[in-house]
Amino acid sequence: MFVGPDNPLGYPAPYWFLVLFKVLGFTLHMVPMHLWYAGLISMLLLRATGGEQAKRLSQRLVNALPLVIAMGINLGIVPLLFTQVAYYKAFYPATILMAWPWFSVIALLMVAYYGVYIYVIGLRKGELSLLRGASGWVAALMFVIIGFWFANSFSLMTNVGAWGALWEANSFAGAATGTALNTADATLWPRWLMMFGLALTTSAAYVVVDTGFFAGGESEDYKRWALGMAFRLYTLGIIWFGATGSWYIFGALAAENRALLLSMPALILTALTALAPGLPWLLILTGRGGVTRGRALLTGLAQFGVLAVNAVSRQILQNAELAPFMDVTAEPVSVQWSPMILFLVLFVVGLGVVAWIISQVVKASQQPAAS
Amino acid sequence: MHYPWWYVPFLTSPMLIAAVAVIHVYVSMYAVGGGLFLAVETQYAHRSGNRDYLSYLKSHAWFFILLTVVFGAITGVGIWWTIGLASPLATEMLIHAFVFGWAIEYVFFVLEIAAAFAFYYFWDRLEPTVHQIIGWIYGISAWISLVLITAITGFMLNSGAWPENPTFWVGFFNPQFLPQTIARTGGALLLASLYVYLHAALSRGDKDPELLKLISRRSTRPGLLGAILITVGGAWWFVALPSSAQAALMVASALNIFMVLIFSVTVVVFAMLYLGPYRNPGWITPGFAILLFAFGLAAVGTGEFVREAVRKPYIVNRVVYSNQILPEELATLRESGYLEGGTWTHAYVSEHYPQVVDGAGQIDEAALLDLPEADRLEVGAVLYQYHCNDCHAVEDGYTPVGQLTRGWTPEMVRLLVENPEKAHFFMPPFAGTPEEAELLTEYLLSISKPFPVDLLTTADAE
Repeated sequence: MFVGPDNPLGYPAPYWFLVLFKVLGFTLHMVPMHLWYAGLISMLLLRATGGEQAKRLSQRLVNALPLVIAMGINLGIVPLLFTQVAYYKAFYPATILMAWPWFSVIALLMVAYYGVYIYVIGLRKGELSLLRGASGWVAALMFVIIGFWFANSFSLMTNVGAWGALWEANSFAGAATGTALNTADATLWPRWLMMFGLALTTSAAYVVVDTGFFAGGESEDYKRWALGMAFRLYTLGIIWFGATGSWYIFGALAAENRALLLSMPALILTALTALAPGLPWLLILTGRGGVTRGRALLTGLAQFGVLAVNAVSRQILQNAELAPFMDVTAEPVSVQWSPMILFLVLFVVGLGVVAWIISQVVKASQQPAAS
Repeated sequence: MHYPWWYVPFLTSPMLIAAVAVIHVYVSMYAVGGGLFLAVETQYAHRSGNRDYLSYLKSHAWFFILLTVVFGAITGVGIWWTIGLASPLATEMLIHAFVFGWAIEYVFFVLEIAAAFAFYYFWDRLEPTVHQIIGWIYGISAWISLVLITAITGFMLNSGAWPENPTFWVGFFNPQFLPQTIARTGGALLLASLYVYLHAALSRGDKDPELLKLISRRSTRPGLLGAILITVGGAWWFVALPSSAQAALMVASALNIFMVLIFSVTVVVFAMLYLGPYRNPGWITPGFAILLFAFGLAAVGTGEFVREAVRKPYIVNRVVYSNQILPEELATLRESGYLEGGTWTHAYVSEHYPQVVDGAGQIDEAALLDLPEADRLEVGAVLYQYHCNDCHAVEDGYTPVGQLTRGWTPEMVRLLVENPEKAHFFMPPFAGTPEEAELLTEYLLSISKPFPVDLLTTADAE
């Protein structure tokens, strides 16, 4: 009833291509996003309650956030772009129904990003005044609210059956007032919290990578302490993720979708999604005494795998939830070959240039500053 | 129509796009021009061995990153957010037509971010040659992202041969592509100069007059070049406009004034640059810099507003009407009804007035006129929201029809409803049945304000 017509131009690339970049982009986006989502608030808590080592770790992670946020915002464009190509019939209505909260993301993100900068500048100067300290907490709060809006919009995207009632309750002469929220959807809360748990695990994995690669100038005591903290943080993340994930699947998901996830062949992926965090957890557990670059890299890659598997599971579930209303795989395709090839070539070249910049930065970071 | 319409009282939701877009352009153009400026000037400073100038450029790079990477990037995403909410069908069409243009732009965004942070944070650690190369990687990537997005905004204003031959490259190289690229490159260079003056005047003050003179002299050149490019690109832009847009510029008094404003302010800024910092670099004071900056923002902001406004009756030239209807849908909607053709309008009528929906789920247009008066007005209000609210607020606010139709007779309103494009060529045609025209007329009369009392003649009173 509420699903609009197909776009007359058709998909500009095969569906698999669109969904591949959507999932890949979302996985890449999750890495930096997790650091500001759960990482920032964890580090603020550590600083507020911990000792010297805790403050050092907090400073190291938060100090990287300006770059992390810039990268994360840009990496977030990719999944959003491909979502709008392949899932436009669900994405636009859902976001319009909750237009004001969705629109507020821009202002919240602005406050959060500048808040992080103010906090980081204070840290770097060693002058963390009350105002500067508070800006860090405000930023963390904004990020959590943004996460809640995202959980709302993407759960509402697939909750097509609720659109009519939400529209009725939030409309003026048939036009949406943009004030609806998907809070009556049982999947919303565990979905929102589940991402926070996953974000805790990524933040912990980041601590291991940072300790293995970039903490050369830190004391051995600090490194041991940081690795121990990474283990505790990852463990907390796993418990949180497990609890909210179970709530999501067994307590909130529609029966037919639960049955899909728990029957073959999707069961393999579901099991993999649930168990995957165990690998980085084991790597962190066994590496608490000290971490080599190889182990740190392995931990980072394992965590990336955890996120990738999670993104694939989400995608499969999203398609299943939308299936009664639309078949996103069945739209006409009119491939734009030359722009697609140009994009792929530039994508590879771009990665090469970024790799070159990183290599120069790594080389330069081993040099003392000229002034 | 295909999507729920977002009602924003007073302002109308598309005006949010204009607000976010203009704010974004102020920073995004600086992100391009400032990037090129930093690349050129860092190279100059390294080659001339001017440590003081290098030190100033580093402080400017920090200001540049704080403004462009945060505010510029977030407002850029903000445009995406807003167009999807306020103009979903147009966004859907543009994304299907140009997804790979945007994807390529994203690659250059990532390059910009990586280069910008390496450029600033490793300023004193990178080899000078590597530092300069990274500066150029940023500058060139930023300019390419300008070119890519300009192709899409140019397409929105003049889609050229695309409606007949809808391929990526036909749309990309539209008639507006080159003129807008030239004008926007000029705008980027001009704004970069003005941002540099502002930053230098406020941060350096009179600490080092000789350095301030050097900054003024060096940064005036891109500004002068930018003003020339704006003028050349702007003139070509006008020539490459569709005739409807040229006519819109002639007929709308506000746009007329804005056009004069753009060119006169550009000339004034050029003169101020030449006579000020170029000939007399010592003139750069905070007051002068702020004045120049304000003039620059006025020119760029007005230009962007005019570019948005002259597209009517389309939001994407010959592809999507400004009220979210595809031109090819018009005939069907006129025959079977706008309420019937719209996904959400159909849902509204089916839910609220099932008595006018037949067994096949089709709306019986004639039965709509048999509804009680209050219900007819309600359906008229729905038609107004979906068909008219893109450009008109209701009773108060942005071009409200309630005010525009003060004292109109039912015949006058009906004539306008049935033939809006004939009354004003920049309005999209009415996309409904005669019954729907009647319902919309009744609604418009219900919100129409009375004719101003002091203008009533004796004959009116009688």
